[in-house]
Amino acid sequence: MAFKSVEDVEKRLEQAGYISSREIATVVFLAGATGKPILVEGPAGVGKTELAKAVARGLEREMIRLQCYEGLDEAKALYEWEYAKQLLYTQMVKEKIQDVIAGAGTLSDAVDRIAKQEDAFFSERFIQPRPLLQAISSPAPVVLLIDEVDKSDPEFEAFLLELLSDFQVSIPELGTRRAMNIPFVVLTSNNYRDMSDALKRRCIHIYIEYPERELEMRVIRLKIPGIGERLVQQLVETVRKIRDLDLKKKPCISESLDWAQSLIALQVEDITPGVILETLNVICKYRADSQKVREHIDSITPRAGLNG
Amino acid sequence: MVNLILKFVSSCRAADLRVSTAEVLDCLNQLELIDTIDEVQFRTVLRTNFVKSRRDQAKFDRLYHLFFHEMGKDSGLSEDDPFAGLIRDTMEILYQRANGDMLYRSLLDFLSGDPLAYLTALRHMRNMDHDAPQNVRFNLGPLAGRLEILMQINAVRAKVIQFLDDRYASTAGIERHNAVDFFNRHLDSAYSLLMHEPRPLYDDLQNIRSYEQHLKYLGERPFSALTQQEVEEVRDVVDRLVRKLKDIVSRRYAARSRGVLDIKKTLRKAMRYQGTPVELAFKKRPPRRGKIVTLCDVSSSVWSAARFMLNILYSLQECFTKVNSFIFVSGLAEVTDIFENHEINSAIEKVLHETDIEYYAPTDYGETFRHFKRDYLDILNKKTTLIIIGDARTNYFHPEDRILSEMREKSRRVIWLNPEPESEWNSGDSEMFAYKPYCHELRPCRNLNQLIEFVEELIL
Repeated sequence: MAFKSVEDVEKRLEQAGYISSREIATVVFLAGATGKPILVEGPAGVGKTELAKAVARGLEREMIRLQCYEGLDEAKALYEWEYAKQLLYTQMVKEKIQDVIAGAGTLSDAVDRIAKQEDAFFSERFIQPRPLLQAISSPAPVVLLIDEVDKSDPEFEAFLLELLSDFQVSIPELGTRRAMNIPFVVLTSNNYRDMSDALKRRCIHIYIEYPERELEMRVIRLKIPGIGERLVQQLVETVRKIRDLDLKKKPCISESLDWAQSLIALQVEDITPGVILETLNVICKYRADSQKVREHIDSITPRAGLNG
Repeated sequence: MVNLILKFVSSCRAADLRVSTAEVLDCLNQLELIDTIDEVQFRTVLRTNFVKSRRDQAKFDRLYHLFFHEMGKDSGLSEDDPFAGLIRDTMEILYQRANGDMLYRSLLDFLSGDPLAYLTALRHMRNMDHDAPQNVRFNLGPLAGRLEILMQINAVRAKVIQFLDDRYASTAGIERHNAVDFFNRHLDSAYSLLMHEPRPLYDDLQNIRSYEQHLKYLGERPFSALTQQEVEEVRDVVDRLVRKLKDIVSRRYAARSRGVLDIKKTLRKAMRYQGTPVELAFKKRPPRRGKIVTLCDVSSSVWSAARFMLNILYSLQECFTKVNSFIFVSGLAEVTDIFENHEINSAIEKVLHETDIEYYAPTDYGETFRHFKRDYLDILNKKTTLIIIGDARTNYFHPEDRILSEMREKSRRVIWLNPEPESEWNSGDSEMFAYKPYCHELRPCRNLNQLIEFVEELIL
C-alpha cells in the first residue's frame, strides 16, 4: 500500500479528507520511499497532527500516538513492567515455589533454582508496551505520531534518536526487539525549543504555513459540501485579512471551518460587518484579538459584490 | 545534475547555511525518486534537506532563486542567442584586464554564473566584526567592507558599459542593448545580495501580548511610575504570589508521575496482609528542575522591572536547580552570590551599590554579549532557560545579535522581557528587531500583571 508517486500521495490524502500542497505531498512521498521520519513544524492549527492521521488513513494503517511533555521518560514511552501483576502472581504461586526449592540442600542452591525460574516473571506476560514499543512490535506496519516533540527533554530526544536510527529496542530481560516493519514516523513541533541538529539531520523537514487562498477554499469545499461558492470566497478573503492583523492567535484552518459551519447554521449568504461581529467568538480566542478585529472591521469586510 | 547540486551546496555553505555531507547524499538519492521537471518537487527536495529550521528558510529561498532563476533559466542567456557571443567576448576581455583584486574577480565570476566567490566575500564581510579585536564597539568593519564591495560593483558596471561602447558602438543597437541589460540585471542582483540580507524568519516566535488582569489598579501601573509606597505594596503582592506558587509547585510534585517500585516499602506494607502486596509503593521521582540564567539591564527604566523579577526568581529558588544572575549597563557583572547570601531586599541594595557597574554609562548590549560570550558561555546548556530583561536600546553601538544566536544554540529557551511599550520597539536606537529572530518568546514586562503571568508560565 505504499505511495507510488507525489500525485498518488495528493490523491490518497484528499480521499482521506486532507488537501495537501504539492510541497507537503512531496515530503510525504519522500518519507514513505526512504523510511525517514518527517519533522513537521508550523503554527498551531495548520494541520500538523491531522497530516499524520491522513497519512494513516491514506495508507490504511493504524496510527499510534505518543504525546510528549516535559518529564516524559522511557517507562512512559517504551515499556514498563507490571509490578502489581508480578507481585500478585508471586503470592498466588507461593506453594509452587515451595515445590521448586524442595530438596535443595543449601540456601544458595535454593536461590539458584529460583533464579532459573526468573524468566517466568520477566516475560511478555508482564510487560506493558507503551506507544514506541507498540509501534515497533506491530506485525502490520503503522504510522507513529510523536506529537509536540519539542516539549520533551533533551535526554528523551537523544533516546528517540537512537530508536529512530535503527528501529530496535533492547529490553535487558527479553533481548532485542527489532521492528518487523519500519513505521512511518511523523514528529510535530511548535518551536517551544529548538530540536538538536542530530535529530533534524535524521528527518525530512517541512514547515507548514497558513494555506494559500486556493488551497484553503478547496479544504472548505471538501469538508463542508454544499457551501455556496460566493460565501467560500468571502470567508477565505476575510480570514486572510484577519490573519494579517497583529493578533495573539491567528485563526487557522480549523477556525475557518468552524466559522463556515456557523455561517451556514445562521443561513448567512453575504459576510457583512454585522455578521463578523456576531460570530467573532468563533474566529478569535482572545478578547484582545476580538477588540483588534472590531477596530479594523471596515478593512476586513469583503467588498460588496465580491465573486472572485 | 550532481555537479549542479554540488555547486548549489557550495553556495549555500558560502552563505552560512550548514549543510552536511549526509544531507547532500540524502538529497541526491531523493532526487532520483521524484519528477525533477516539476519545480515544486525539485525545490522541496532541496529545501527539506538543506534547511531544517524556519529561520533559515528565507536565506535558502533567496539563494535558490539566485542560483536556479537569476543565473539559470531566467538569465536570458542561451547558447544560440545572438548576443551570447557578445557577452562571452566582454567577459573574456574583462578577465584579461582584471588586476589581482579578488573581490573584482569574484564579481566577474558572478557575472559568468558562478556566485561562490562573491557569496564567500559577502560572508567574510559580514563576519568581519566577529574576527575583529574585541574592543571594537561599532560595526564599522562590515560597513567599510560593504562600501568596498559597492564600489567594485560600480567599477565593474562602468567597465562593462565602456567596453561595449568602445567595441560595439557601430553594431546593431538591439544586441548591444540586450547585453547591457543582461549585465545590469546581474549586477543589480549582486547589489541586492549585498544590501538586503534576508533576515531570519521568526513567525514561529511566541510573541505574548494580551494578559488577564490579576490586579486592577496596582497590577496595571508601570513599574517605572511606582511611588515608594506602591513599591512596598507590590512587594507584599509578590510575597503572596511567591507563597502561592510554592504551594502549587510542591502539590504538583507530590502528584507527579511516579517513579519505579519501592520494594522495601511495598514489602513493609505487605506485612499487614500476611505478606500479600495489596498496596504498592513507588519511589517519588525528584522534581525535574531547570536552570535559569538572567541578564538584567539595570539602566533606570529597566531596573524598576528587573528588581521585581529578580525578587520573585530568588524567592522561588527551590523551584530551580540553579539561578545565575547578571546585571549590565555597558559591562557585565555576575550578582548570583549577592542574591544567594543576602536577604532579597538588601541584596537589591547591594547590587546597586557594591557591584562594579557604571550606572551612568550608556547601555551597550553588544559589549554585554561579547563579555558574556568570553567569560560565561559555558554556563548555558540544554537545561538552561535564558531570560533577558532589557529595552534593547543599544545607543547605536553594535548590537551583536549573532552572539545572541550562539547563546540560543547553547540554551534550551531564550525569553526576552521588554519593559517598553511595544509601539516603541523599533524606534530610535532600539534593536529589538535585530534580536527578535533569536528568541523563543518575547513579551512586554511593564507592570506587575505581566510579570505575574510570566512567572506563572515559567514555573507551572
